[in-house]
Amino acid sequence: MNASDQFRTYRPFVGPHDPCPPIREKSYNVPPQLFITIQPPNLPQFSAYDALKYGTLWPALFAPYPDPSSPTRVTGGDM
Amino acid sequence: MAETMLDEAYYKLLHDLQAVDFVLVELNLYLDTHPGDEAAIAQFNQYAELRKRIAAQYEAAYGPLMNFGHSMSKTPWQWKEAPWPWQV
Repeated sequence: MNASDQFRTYRPFVGPHDPCPPIREKSYNVPPQLFITIQPPNLPQFSAYDALKYGTLWPALFAPYPDPSSPTRVTGGDM
Repeated sequence: MAETMLDEAYYKLLHDLQAVDFVLVELNLYLDTHPGDEAAIAQFNQYAELRKRIAAQYEAAYGPLMNFGHSMSKTPWQWKEAPWPWQV
């Protein structure tokens, strides 16, 4: 699960009488902190300047949350 | 009051200060939940020292960063002088 695909998808029910064109696949973001209960000590760190750019001191917790609809789902400062 | 020259060094110092401050925020939040992590405490103290030096260097050259006694000022009173953060 690298930084750019922190998404999971599901397929909502689509009925014949839906008023609007159906959205067949929807996604939700799953950032890394969901999978880390207690942050372990001595995780590798970014440099101070990179931490400012990536928004976190630890690469393991980097969660860019790109626009789900953009094809590549990758934003600036990604990894 | 002489026009404050926003030169290369000004922006570099500010960038350094921001980077160090962000690391301090992250370490502080981490230490709130990991009070026993000595390595992180050592790193925090190291960055706190570094932050003091950077801030002192900035304030000596460009004036106070904070008011109400958190920074010193030369004469005449510098706090009201431009540039303000949104003007930088």
